[in-house]
Amino acid sequence: MKRTFDTGNAAITEAAIRSGCTLFAGYPITPATEIAENMSRRLPQVGGYYLQAEDENAALHICNGGSIGGLKAMTATSGPGFILFADAFGWAVSSEVPVVIVNSQRVGPVSGITGAPGQGEFYLSRYLTHGGNFETIVLAPSSVQEAYRLTVRAFYLAERFRTPVIVLADQMVTDGWETLELPETDAEFLAMGLEVVPRRIHPGPEFYPATDDIDIPPVVLGHNTGAACSDWTPTDRGHDTEDITWQHKHAWRLIHKILNHRDLIDEADQWFLDDAPEVILVAYGTPSRVVQSAVRAARSEGLPVGGIRPISLWPFQDHLFKRRAIYLVVELNWDGQLVREVQRAAADGSQVHFWGRCGELPTSGELLEDIKALLKHEPLVRDGWRTEKW
Amino acid sequence: MAERIEILVSGYGGQGVVRIGQVLGQAAVNQGLYTSMLISHGTETRGGYVRSQVVISDEFIDSPVVERPDFFCAFSGIAYTMFKGLCGPQSLILHNPEIVSADPELASPHWGITAETAAAEELGDAVFANVIFLGALSSRLPLLSPKHIVEAIRQRLPERFHEKNLQAFEMGRVLA
Repeated sequence: MKRTFDTGNAAITEAAIRSGCTLFAGYPITPATEIAENMSRRLPQVGGYYLQAEDENAALHICNGGSIGGLKAMTATSGPGFILFADAFGWAVSSEVPVVIVNSQRVGPVSGITGAPGQGEFYLSRYLTHGGNFETIVLAPSSVQEAYRLTVRAFYLAERFRTPVIVLADQMVTDGWETLELPETDAEFLAMGLEVVPRRIHPGPEFYPATDDIDIPPVVLGHNTGAACSDWTPTDRGHDTEDITWQHKHAWRLIHKILNHRDLIDEADQWFLDDAPEVILVAYGTPSRVVQSAVRAARSEGLPVGGIRPISLWPFQDHLFKRRAIYLVVELNWDGQLVREVQRAAADGSQVHFWGRCGELPTSGELLEDIKALLKHEPLVRDGWRTEKW
Repeated sequence: MAERIEILVSGYGGQGVVRIGQVLGQAAVNQGLYTSMLISHGTETRGGYVRSQVVISDEFIDSPVVERPDFFCAFSGIAYTMFKGLCGPQSLILHNPEIVSADPELASPHWGITAETAAAEELGDAVFANVIFLGALSSRLPLLSPKHIVEAIRQRLPERFHEKNLQAFEMGRVLA
């Protein structure tokens, strides 16, 4: 292992290179610019291609094109660029194009604040395009080390499921510096539980079979397979159709190839849940680390408190919230996004509370105060659903 | 129980706020410890607000937030005003009294170091002030060995400035 001190942006870059990524197209934006910068330096060293696009919409289309041409591709951005992926993301979903998309969430809406963390794209990452009829895979790292692992994982899942996979990070993961251990040999890479699926080429002629099977090679043009690819509803052979029956079959595949293989996607950390704690804190990304500290501090005071961190965000893991409890959902936004899914999934008789802030992490001291308030069935010290008045 | 040291450095862009964090973090990694550094900043490369939150521990760091700093390097009056509220009696505040005036109401010990003037006079450029602060800080930070910090300076700072930065580091060390 090579032990270094580096950023999440560097970790994501090295993970992409290790996964066989040979195309990066992007448009610089804080706090993801360093991914583009690092890829522009690393890709030529491995015979890959780096392209700065005219905007993010073009960037993801270029990645889609590269992937349909047989390359593993990645793009990276932040909120204001992420929203521009809408059109190209739909192409990737519908044409089943493996591609990896990194979003380092900052404060929004629109350009918001550049160098501060937010979590405003929880729902946008689920519905990054219009039209419905699809499921999305979204992974959320909470540290530099995990940014490496989940980027490798994103490439792996993208190839197996033939779909875009989103790494939903935040400014503190990508801009933050931490101890980072990088595998130097294949044995070390495997020992980290990581795997690479090489790019395969679909031989045809059933390029879009109406099945929930995974591990079907992607459609790659230019290999005499007769492959076709467009943004229209495809028949199984990839021809455009307006036939609603084919559309139904296509939608069923896009949804169920993901929902029926949840065992490969679902991932979560759970802390101190074995003794049915009264209060359970929930968070993803960097705030989950403060939650972990707060839960540990509460436990050291003997308080019945646990924690849940979804690592894969979508499909949403309803099963994590089957315990009846008082849930406190901690997020880096003022409007509450993850909390709405927890409200929906929580066992009957549960209470679900929201603790929100944007641009700054909570402190474990603040969370501990609210844990104590909830245990005494008192109102939260700060009402999470209301921003402070100015 | 794990040892956990929290260091807050804040000032404006161009003062080397992030550089200090990088050197401390690299030194910690060189020494086999765990470290995390959160960076917050404005859009500007120079002149805007910058803050580094560095945590060093002998085990994996869960919360990377500096809540009760053991050390606070306040490089500007604005930074001092913003973050002095986090400081308690255990927090050592390092500041240049020519730039940042200490709040007499604050319970934290202050260590005034005229680093900008010393750097300008002895090294020819006030830009080395941050490494004077780093030297002073390191003299109160037994967890990190100066040997590893010197190695980290060589790894993280531009080679053409190694000599002056190492001099600055020593200037800070002897202030203790």
